[in-house]
Amino acid sequence: MTHGDYQELLAASALSALDPADTRALSHHLESCEECRLELGQWEESAALLALDAPPLEPASDVRARILASVRVEPRVEVRPTVDSQSKQNVVPFVVPARKQKNIWQSFGSFGAIAATIVFVGLMISVVVLWRQNQSLRAQRDHERAILALLTKPESQMAKLEGTKMAPGAHAMLAYDKDGHAMVMAKGLPAAPAGMAYQLWFIKDNKKMPGKVFTIDAAGNAMLEDEVPAMAREAAVFAVTLEPATGVSAPTGSIYLVSES
Amino acid sequence: MSLGVKREPASVSDVELLHAVAGGDEAALARLYDAYRVILFGLLVRILNSREEAEDVLQDVFIQVWRRAKDFDEKRGRPFTWLVTLARSRAIDRIRQLGARQRLVTGAAQEQTEVVSDALSDTLRTAKQETVQRALSELPDEQRNTLMLAYFDGLTQSEIAEKLKTPLGTVKTRMRSGMQKLRALLEPQLENFS
Repeated sequence: MTHGDYQELLAASALSALDPADTRALSHHLESCEECRLELGQWEESAALLALDAPPLEPASDVRARILASVRVEPRVEVRPTVDSQSKQNVVPFVVPARKQKNIWQSFGSFGAIAATIVFVGLMISVVVLWRQNQSLRAQRDHERAILALLTKPESQMAKLEGTKMAPGAHAMLAYDKDGHAMVMAKGLPAAPAGMAYQLWFIKDNKKMPGKVFTIDAAGNAMLEDEVPAMAREAAVFAVTLEPATGVSAPTGSIYLVSES
Repeated sequence: MSLGVKREPASVSDVELLHAVAGGDEAALARLYDAYRVILFGLLVRILNSREEAEDVLQDVFIQVWRRAKDFDEKRGRPFTWLVTLARSRAIDRIRQLGARQRLVTGAAQEQTEVVSDALSDTLRTAKQETVQRALSELPDEQRNTLMLAYFDGLTQSEIAEKLKTPLGTVKTRMRSGMQKLRALLEPQLENFS
């Protein structure tokens, strides 16, 4: 095939309409032809516009929450290592220190041994820190699994809470089952002032029922379980306000998160 | 404030949103979903003929966006193209998994369209849609049908030739001519499609 022959294939390739033999031949040619790669990109831009011939449609409202719930439990090594990968990273370095430990006691008292002891103590501290991190990650994983289990129950309901002007970057998801068992995941909340914390509210027919008081981590995130009162399990509004850390029986502070009514 | 207030998102380009997603920003993923869900879901329903299948694939598409956003290179194309290509590719894969027979069954149960919620976006999308449909209407029927069978039915050139009982060479010519004409009609307006 000539260069011109390959160029003839590019438009069909952008539509994924080439037969397997042509696909293989073009793929091989593209590896060494910058001109064809660029032209294929242009054909792909044109082909993508065909998508607009399809009538725009609104997916079910729960798809968004399902996607966000899925990515929260998605292993993403570069950004948020999984517990397993974290464990592997943590375990590897401790194979070597185990051998060094023997040398420390054999030559205890020497200058080198003191240095080795310091290293050993440092490593022991690392073990404790990493163990605690693993415990924390396991707790987070358990929370996420519980949320996923809740989301996959057919009778479960979900509400999305948007940040107000008090926390424009914040958002949260509240999922609950028919018995009112609820899980809340909040993200992007600003740090609460000393002595203050966030409190969840269930609002139905203008009656505001208090939920749990909670704090956030350094990134502004929180996960908590709560119980949706029976009367708030249908068509209620959910909100989060900033309140005294002891909690209050009626909201006094600003609303930071709220679901649509 | 009232309890129904929705915040107005700041103006951030889709390229920036994809970069933020690549960095693990879930809010950016949510904003991309809000911006593209209607276009992509419409495309997926058109290909799969089933809302249920389309919702599954839509979820899968955005999980892929989450995993692969770091692969997006704005020098190689627009976010619109990247997302549409990804969605179509997953839908075609799903068709092949389901098989033609299953697809015909689900097609018979195709559900009615729903009203798009955001009136402004709806208007904009309608204008874009009209532009594309006008361009397609200017193609000869046989060229347009060939493009539609490839794009929405996921058929290869040989499969189209067999389906239309037309020589393969003719199908190839129609496809290339149709794409050239479509490109000539839409290229001047490509800026408006970002």
